[in-house]
Amino acid sequence: MTSRTAAAWEAGPNLPATHRVSGLVYSDQTIFEEEKQHLFGKTWQLACHESEIPEVFDFRTFEVAGQPLVVSRGANGTIRTFVNACSHRGAKIVNDPSGNAKRFTCFYHHWSYDTEGACIDIPREDGYAPTGLKKEDCGLREVRTESKLGLVFVNLDDDAESLESYFGDALKPFEPVMGTGELEVFHFNRSILESNWKSWIETNLDIYHEVMHVTLRKTQVSAGAMKDRNFDLHKNGHAGIGGVKAKYGGYKGWGERDVASTLPGLDPNDLRVFEIFPNSTIIARGTVIRIDTIMPISPGRAVLECRGLGLKGDSDADRMMRIEHHNAYWGPFGRNVPEDAFAAEMCGVSFRTGAAKHQNIARDEDGHGQDDGILRNFYEEWSRRMGRPASNPVNRSEAS
Amino acid sequence: MSLKWNAVAQTVYQTCLRLDQEDFDGYLELFAPEFHYWITAYSPEIRKEMIWLSHDRDGLAALLENVPDHVRRLGSLHRHATVYTVEPGENGTVRVTSSIQVTHTDPDGSSRLFAVGHYHDVLVDTADGPRLTERNAKLETRELGIGSHLPI
Ligand code: FES
Ligand SMILES: [Fe+2]
Repeated sequence: MTSRTAAAWEAGPNLPATHRVSGLVYSDQTIFEEEKQHLFGKTWQLACHESEIPEVFDFRTFEVAGQPLVVSRGANGTIRTFVNACSHRGAKIVNDPSGNAKRFTCFYHHWSYDTEGACIDIPREDGYAPTGLKKEDCGLREVRTESKLGLVFVNLDDDAESLESYFGDALKPFEPVMGTGELEVFHFNRSILESNWKSWIETNLDIYHEVMHVTLRKTQVSAGAMKDRNFDLHKNGHAGIGGVKAKYGGYKGWGERDVASTLPGLDPNDLRVFEIFPNSTIIARGTVIRIDTIMPISPGRAVLECRGLGLKGDSDADRMMRIEHHNAYWGPFGRNVPEDAFAAEMCGVSFRTGAAKHQNIARDEDGHGQDDGILRNFYEEWSRRMGRPASNPVNRSEAS
Repeated sequence: MSLKWNAVAQTVYQTCLRLDQEDFDGYLELFAPEFHYWITAYSPEIRKEMIWLSHDRDGLAALLENVPDHVRRLGSLHRHATVYTVEPGENGTVRVTSSIQVTHTDPDGSSRLFAVGHYHDVLVDTADGPRLTERNAKLETRELGIGSHLPI
């Protein structure tokens, strides 16, 4: 008999703890709340790209694990972030997704804040004189904000290590690509996925799923040698994939991409991936970059934010070329993103319902080909920060 | 304007019907050889007009031919269009604006809204009837769940 009994299904594969993940990490409400606290509340989170707030006083609103934030460029160009909630009665202050404002005035009782977060106006302030409440005590809650390679990150933890130390030298391979010419976001899209946020991340880290995408079967799997692919695993859960090649002409209707206007440091047929632990991924394909960020809404629901980037000052023809190369795979009508999102949702069904109890991350190709080492690196860091092993996050002997 | 409202509307509606039925050859017959197709949307986040799909007729034909090889969510899309305006364009063409609603119906039979927006079309008269030379499916809806391999 090769199928399994309920007990065997529950017990899971006979693998080292590092090589399997319990289904509970995708479905348990307590684990979900702890992820918000220990992962999203303590790691550097992507706010936006600097090109989204190019001018003085430009702002963008966004969320980290459901918490509304506003990032803005101050008078001297300094980028700061605040919790988007009024000191007075708590109302959300800034509701536009983007704009330009010298001051943020709350719609409710017109308290105003400058771009340094100071409360600069309280209408009829003398009404507070008897209680001693002063503007000076009513500033916004500032959130730590630091930038790297044009990416603006925030950290809700005032005591977190610096962004520089968070990355170490992990982003080195992306320095020529993202640090030579100025980049610019030309595509932005948010979509809701009926899956745990990690099932999306897995579509980025699990290169073995090339087999699902007809585009990758035809353009990527045999374009370069499996042994030339390299996985660089870094501290803090970050990881890079390099050495992957594509021959775009293999998919009907696509031409080869032997164009001159590649991004700096890239060959037109290069594919590079970088996972920013825990929830953002940079993917560079020769001519264009995608950055995606997945934010949890509930254990079985997440919101995906995708950006497409080209070079600032692109000619119209180059920009159109980058947009077309971007859209070939990515965006809501790309050939790959709807497949990855479908895969995440199908894992979502199994873990939400408890049909699946485990998954295995056991491929070992010595750091090449379609190795799962990058997934193991992710779950090792997840386990460390959560103080629970991903293989058995709720001590089962205790629970039973 | 030699093109009549009824004939124009019929061509627009046929694009919906044939694409709903995934009759890709029949769908492509409704386009003139110089046809161009776009899906666009405006992002208030980055304050930019975005192009999400852009193909000439051959590019669109290749895209459709590949669709059956992709992993897709089961069920079907249903495109509902209403022609709002038909105005004279350049060189005997007409500019047609239609409001559109697209719903997805899953295999269990439950339907939910996928997207709303407008078709901004240009049609030219031919011996076979009005044919599209341009379609810009401009979406209001930007949150599209897992997205779609099909044009709108
Ligand atoms: S809640 Fe903002 S001014 Fe009162
Ligand atoms: Fe994928």
